[in-house]
Amino acid sequence: MRPQSKDQAAAILAALGGVENIDEIEPCTTRLRSLVRDASRVDAAGLRAAGAFGVMISGRVVQVVVGPHVDLIATDLDELM
Amino acid sequence: MDEPDQGSAHKYLTVRDHLATLVAQELKVGDAIPSERHLSQQFGLSRMTVRQAVDTLVTDGVLVREQGRGTFVAPQRMDFEMRLTTFGEEMRRRGMEPATTVLTAQVVAATPDVATALELEPRQKVHFLYRVRSADGVPICIEQAWVPVALAPTLFDDGPPASIYEALRDLGLAPEWGEDTLSADEATDTEASLLGLGDARAVLRAERRTYSVDTATMFSRACYRADRYSVWVPLRAPRPALVPRRRTEGELEPATAPIAGGRQ
Repeated sequence: MRPQSKDQAAAILAALGGVENIDEIEPCTTRLRSLVRDASRVDAAGLRAAGAFGVMISGRVVQVVVGPHVDLIATDLDELM
Repeated sequence: MDEPDQGSAHKYLTVRDHLATLVAQELKVGDAIPSERHLSQQFGLSRMTVRQAVDTLVTDGVLVREQGRGTFVAPQRMDFEMRLTTFGEEMRRRGMEPATTVLTAQVVAATPDVATALELEPRQKVHFLYRVRSADGVPICIEQAWVPVALAPTLFDDGPPASIYEALRDLGLAPEWGEDTLSADEATDTEASLLGLGDARAVLRAERRTYSVDTATMFSRACYRADRYSVWVPLRAPRPALVPRRRTEGELEPATAPIAGGRQ
């Protein structure tokens, strides 16, 4: 089963390098598009372990495919940030 | 009036717009447009200028010329919203009769790209279905689809299913969400022949991952003929981006300089 969205949000945030590594996260329909400060602190395997269906990293932009419950995760992320 | 050459450009646009309006408001698919002679008399223009206007609409796919018969309103492109529906469902909704020609239906070892898309180990077994989909007898789309054997071992037991999505629903793996990646391309020779394309070889490619809850159930590559198919994408404003509430209690590493102000 999919992790509880609150736990999942925390795991995703940690794998993105923590809140201090985030410039912004934009929730799209099935993805979180994040602008990070330092891409080398992003843990792609950790994102997969957090339930991501795909991770695309291009420069400082990290796209995490999370599926249609992106809104729930975004709400939880907002609380954690 | 304008300069002479500008004037003739405007005149040709006048005829083109007149024809486009006729197609949009009065004529039906398959109706003949007024003859070039009639149009040149109506607008007081040379046949060549009229032909230029008709040519652009033929190139745009609005009109179709038939040797020795005349020029007619072309079949419209079908608008599709990319949804997780089956081809058959989409066609029937448009009052068209869907048909499928199966070219290949077999179990194969997943190639690395297919394995990655389906989150499998390379060489794991997948059902592979390769089909040409038609509507009212006209080939619209070539589709290749891969479904993990481990997820749906019985998928091909009664021959390839008419609808993979239906079969997945029956197996308790109802498609729930997915992602399409669209690109424009030219058909390969094989594709052009399967789709019955002539000189115009533009196609739309759609690569799709289909998910049932948290499992990738199907990966597919579809190739649609561009003259009969367009994609309709509903848009909405994005949710506001989430920005960290940078705390002032020294939780930030001092080494990290703020990128921009005003992010509170």
